Amino acid sequence: MELSEIIKSYTQKALEHYGDSATKKFYEFLSNKEFKTTKCKKCEKPFFPPRPFCPHCLGEDIEWVDMPKKGKLYAFTQQERSLRFGKPDVIGIVELEGIGKILTRINAPFESLKIGMELHLDFIDVGGLILHQFTP
Amino acid sequence: MISKQNRVRILGGVYTKFQKSLPKSIREVTFEVFKEALKDAGIQKEDIDGLYVTPPGLAGPPSFMHACELIEYLGLSTKTLSMIECGGCTSAIAMRAAAEDILSGRINTACVIALDWRAADIPEDFEYFLKYAVLMQTCLYGVYDAPYGIGAPIPYYAMSAQRYMYEFNVPYEKIANVAVVLRKHAERNPLAEYRTSITVEDVKSSRELSPPLRLLDCSPFSSGAGCIIFGKDDGKKDGVYITGCGEFHHSSHFINSAESITRFISVRKAAQQAYELSGKKPQELDVAEIYGVFTATELMILEGLGLAEEGKAWVGFEDGSWTYGGKTVVDPSGGRLSLGHPAAVTPLAEMVEVYGHLSEKWGERNVKNAKTGLVHAEHGMLNGGIVFILERD
Repeated sequence: MELSEIIKSYTQKALEHYGDSATKKFYEFLSNKEFKTTKCKKCEKPFFPPRPFCPHCLGEDIEWVDMPKKGKLYAFTQQERSLRFGKPDVIGIVELEGIGKILTRINAPFESLKIGMELHLDFIDVGGLILHQFTP
Repeated sequence: MISKQNRVRILGGVYTKFQKSLPKSIREVTFEVFKEALKDAGIQKEDIDGLYVTPPGLAGPPSFMHACELIEYLGLSTKTLSMIECGGCTSAIAMRAAAEDILSGRINTACVIALDWRAADIPEDFEYFLKYAVLMQTCLYGVYDAPYGIGAPIPYYAMSAQRYMYEFNVPYEKIANVAVVLRKHAERNPLAEYRTSITVEDVKSSRELSPPLRLLDCSPFSSGAGCIIFGKDDGKKDGVYITGCGEFHHSSHFINSAESITRFISVRKAAQQAYELSGKKPQELDVAEIYGVFTATELMILEGLGLAEEGKAWVGFEDGSWTYGGKTVVDPSGGRLSLGHPAAVTPLAEMVEVYGHLSEKWGERNVKNAKTGLVHAEHGMLNGGIVFILERD
């Protein structure tokens, strides 16, 4: 098998094996350029990562809601070696209002970034998978 | 619970020299540390009635019968037997479980064995390796982080280091100096993996891995093993005792969505409980071994333990407070950075190291008049932690 094919198919295997039904939906939404997470109808609080149950009350009355399309850059770095991306690749933590901090890819050169920058939601196709990323 | 009133005695312990690969097979190394620890403790194999082991390294398929086959191999019969895992805290949790099984009265003498084989060479079958790597990264870092290429915890800690420098205005040179001091300690320790003296310039010019972290800011992936033996508090003088243990695990793994990534609840709460139960204060510590896998993290841990104010732990590495002759000798072993970091063994090695200073086993490099010590371990990115207080009676 070609190496990129291996990464593609084993990523799918891994997401299925180590994820849950919410994982499947999360990535399905991303493939439609939708950035959503789960919200507990009882607690009225969205939470990330998404789950098919509420981590606060363990209730299963869950709905999917849009996450903010804008966020603030909390921290960032560059990976020397990384599977799926060439080097150098910038990843960072973005603060999303009402959600908290999440890990994402930052689509900008490392040197151009500063903590506190306003970023907006974008998407990237890494071959067999669409991921969220953020751009200044 | 382990406390000033309910102490557990450390009878003996050893850890091997840390290096890239194990010099012999898993079983052979296990037998060696086991036999040496028995000798150090001055007891017979038959005295052990509780055995606690850790998973034998990341390099190889997992086994859920590792403890079961080891007990046969070592020729033991015991009242308790388990393999325990908890990320970076692995051998620390095994030690806490062993100690508290003694306090419960279930056993009298516990043996904890830890071994880790981390730095595996990439196998010839690259296709197999790649498949395994993809599955492994998703297993370790989760389905929401792994797709971003996370292959090791370094980028998380790099972001924590970046925030630390930003929040507390700490220049990189101050952080790099942590590696210099720990390397000085390792120069004295024949068991350490890296013992050649380095300067701040060396750290600053070492290969950048995940900015701001450079190669010399990071601990190596090492292999090694250790074994420690605990017994009941028999009231005998001139013994080394565990007199407190605090533990806390927050509902997060690596990135803490809601909380700070420079000030860690788990360190503060685990330390608070350990100090309360032992009746000791951070200022009374003569020696400490802490789980600082990176330079900046070492500083954040010291602050969480109450040894320094927020953003100020670097001062102690410059003014001599954290080295020989200072207030608290931090990581006399050389620390994770220079001793080496076989993660599953690290907490056990930390405890053997501190036990050694309190019982004056380390000869020339022994911290003088060490009466009180601290051992700290963590998992993830300090999402959970455990702190032990050790005292010489």
